Amino acid sequence: MRKSKNEPFEKIYRHHHPMVLQMCLGFVKGDKDTANDLAQEIFISVWSHLDTFRGASSYKTWIYRITVNTCLNYVKKESKKRTLSTLEIENQTANVATEKTIDDQIPKLYNAIGQLKKIDRLIIMMVLENQDYESISEVIGINPINVRVKIHRIKKRLEKILKNDIDE
Amino acid sequence: MNSDFKELKRTWESSKKSMEPSTANFDSLYKKIKSKEKENYFFYYGTITILLTTLIVISLFFYYVAPVQEILSRIGAGLMISGLIFRIFIEIISIQKAKQINILDSTLKTAENSFQFHQFRKIIHQVIAPIIIVLYTVGFYMITPEFSVYMKFWNVVLIDISYVVIGIILFFIIRKGIKEEMQKLTDIVKLKNEITE
Repeated sequence: MRKSKNEPFEKIYRHHHPMVLQMCLGFVKGDKDTANDLAQEIFISVWSHLDTFRGASSYKTWIYRITVNTCLNYVKKESKKRTLSTLEIENQTANVATEKTIDDQIPKLYNAIGQLKKIDRLIIMMVLENQDYESISEVIGINPINVRVKIHRIKKRLEKILKNDIDE
Repeated sequence: MNSDFKELKRTWESSKKSMEPSTANFDSLYKKIKSKEKENYFFYYGTITILLTTLIVISLFFYYVAPVQEILSRIGAGLMISGLIFRIFIEIISIQKAKQINILDSTLKTAENSFQFHQFRKIIHQVIAPIIIVLYTVGFYMITPEFSVYMKFWNVVLIDISYVVIGIILFFIIRKGIKEEMQKLTDIVKLKNEITE
């Protein structure tokens, strides 16, 4: 293992870990253990591909690509594992919230995001991360106009899910 | 819950701030990286190592232990060995296709490359593997008459029966492989549609 690679890797890890972990939490409806496994898998890929980073995009966009592809691939591998019941999800997300934040809205947000299609979850989380249409289109591979239309649809769907959540 | 999107962004941001990593255990992470690298190496080269070992063992067997004399037997041995060489060649192509799936590409391109890889794997399970098994089986039964001259009748019968048992096991393994590839292909097509819709 090359020591010269460790230093920039550790810097990237410290800087981007919260963002990656939060995207993983949103992707797996707040399941903390799965999100941690997933985040670890993402940083293993970051380490493996660090030599290939050419600076054509920012580190952040580069990490988004790895995050999105790893999340989607992880689901492919993990699809046969048991799915969590809503109650379990609420308990687990509640635990995350109690441990990490006093904000009780975040478990509901994770749960709402988790009800979207897999690719839509990742897109909306990039929007929540303040990524512009250009960067998102670069990560996903479709043109920015389509990204814009897609985001509009996803926002509406998310709003509807959250509204139903309030009504219940 | 306030469903205003700006409010969601604020919730998201404030939650992230509370997620600052505790002192990261890099030693443990580096250990996992190392084990993952080994795992990846096995993923790429595991099958080819098994196939190459089988090829070497069979070749040595026919060269040193049981050098068959009759033309029919030699053709049989040739079929068995060439089937394995063909399978190794296919595995090399498969590795190349697997390496084209680059996690640094866009999601759509990764999905397309994954689709091509799994489609190729499906062809391997559905078409190539059965052809190789047929070649191998024909080769095996072409050798049996010469073997029966040097072996007791019941031993030959036992070998023939065990071959059928292996054949049945292989049938189920291949069927499982096809089912898995079909599922992966369905998932990727669904993802591609979701991206482009």
